[in-house]
Amino acid sequence: MSIREGLRYGSLRAKWRVVDALIAAKERVPFDFDGVSDRFGYALILPGLLLVSFLAVGMVLLAWYSVLTYDTIQIIVYEYTFGNWVKLAETGAFYTVFVRTVLYSAAVTVGCVALAIPYAYLVVRTDRTLFRYLLLFGLFVPFFTGVIIRAYGWLIILGENGLLNWLLGALSLPTASFLGTPVAVLVGLLQYLLPFAVLMLTPAIASIDPDLERAAKNCGASQWQTFRHVVLPLARPGITAATIVSFTICMANYSIPDLLGGGTLSFVANFIYDQVFGTLNYPFAAVLSIALVAVASSFVLVVFKVYGTGTLGAEVDEA
Amino acid sequence: MSLLRRFGGDHPYLTAFTVFELVFLILPSVIILVVSLGSGQIISFPPTELSLKWYTSLLDQPQYVQPFVNSVIVATFCTAISIPIGIVTALGLNRYDIRFEDGIQIYLLLPFTVPLVVSGFIFLIIFGRLGWIGHLWAVGLGLTIINIPFMIWSVASSVNAFDPTLEDAARSLGAEEIQTFFKITLPSLMPGVISGALLMFMLALNEFIVSLIITVTETETLPVAIYGAIRGNISPQIAAVSSVYVLVAIVAIVVADRLVGLERFLHT
Repeated sequence: MSIREGLRYGSLRAKWRVVDALIAAKERVPFDFDGVSDRFGYALILPGLLLVSFLAVGMVLLAWYSVLTYDTIQIIVYEYTFGNWVKLAETGAFYTVFVRTVLYSAAVTVGCVALAIPYAYLVVRTDRTLFRYLLLFGLFVPFFTGVIIRAYGWLIILGENGLLNWLLGALSLPTASFLGTPVAVLVGLLQYLLPFAVLMLTPAIASIDPDLERAAKNCGASQWQTFRHVVLPLARPGITAATIVSFTICMANYSIPDLLGGGTLSFVANFIYDQVFGTLNYPFAAVLSIALVAVASSFVLVVFKVYGTGTLGAEVDEA
Repeated sequence: MSLLRRFGGDHPYLTAFTVFELVFLILPSVIILVVSLGSGQIISFPPTELSLKWYTSLLDQPQYVQPFVNSVIVATFCTAISIPIGIVTALGLNRYDIRFEDGIQIYLLLPFTVPLVVSGFIFLIIFGRLGWIGHLWAVGLGLTIINIPFMIWSVASSVNAFDPTLEDAARSLGAEEIQTFFKITLPSLMPGVISGALLMFMLALNEFIVSLIITVTETETLPVAIYGAIRGNISPQIAAVSSVYVLVAIVAIVVADRLVGLERFLHT
């Protein structure tokens, strides 16, 4: 017997020993496995539920923190007050930041979904293997590269001595300072969220029967008409899902406004971070966090009410 | 037009537009690779001459080496604990009659509905109260919590595609329950487990904002270290560190394609 066969035989024997031991252990446990099969299901989902309960408990904790008193020296005083909520209503800066976050997120979401539809459509429909592979590559390289790395890439492109200014200079056009402008933040967010939107759209487009498009064409519809009246309506569940995912991720983004906004275009997340690490005002940060969750979830609920749950709902049913 | 038609096939304009999008999507990653090969002290265009000096200079930079090790440990931890949790949760939800299943599904989506900065703040409070801040495994636990739905979805799609009568067949041929699980059920869930594990690993390796909030100097992960360096200056050395991420992403895509096919990731 060669060494290799010996190894394989040995590992197989070890594997069976483990399985046999497990079976023996199971038989020794005085427990009727067949009778409790449904309750066994609850035991199976328990670890997942426990893991997520950190966040559920955390939200309750935040609600509690939001009515505690902030003190510059002791940080938290365990006396109940609604002062933090009053402060939320009175702080003008907060209002500016909140409105900015919502407006930018809405703009980015619209742009993102508009750009994602053709991309997702070609990923699904193109018959060229190489092109399809390139598209998938363009989708997953950004998806697997973190937000910091991509923001850094944009810093190099948009910076004072960056790629864009070099190109402008080479074409003898006036150069400009892009960092710290709304354009930089919007471009950064758009590139950050596009892969998410495409990933939400592809299942919906893949489920459209290509024969429907051929039928439309046979009936004399132009390519644009087919796209507008056949593909778009049938892709609506995917569009809903892409809208929700882009908007909620955008609302919560920290790094792109921070790095590309030059410190003047903060989002709610930056505001929260500054409260937590700048002034250590945990109660007010808790108020801001709850407000952010409330705004993001009410947006999701409104979209669900108006347009249905989209592919997100399908995934919930499936999972 | 003829060129467009030749390259674009049925959808010439759509193809041309999508090629622009493709460039837009990969430009930041490509530019990092290009800049990291420059030899100048500052980033400038066009890069003067090519050199690998920023890469070789990385090895004696403890500033990046320790965070890199931390990131790999955290990502491995996340992947290791999310695999069993993902498998049992997906099996439990699909195979067993569970009451309030819809409610539980929505509950399990909590990591996606709570904004990451809020999740980070929550972990800061809870882990702080428990005295867990400063432990690397606590960072791993936090990142597992925020990404676990990816793992559950991924495995669940395999569970859905699996024909349960195969298990009955194994049982009727005399296989014991545990044997059936290891010989039949688990192997057929592998595609979902592999793609989920890959996602968990890559997302944990790249995670930033939660890590920024809950790490301290000793547990700092690489994205946090890079962020700190970017705020200081944008020397080409950061490009060399960042390009490690771009290269890892490319390797991950090739591995994913070989193991389960990229198409699979479109459905999770």
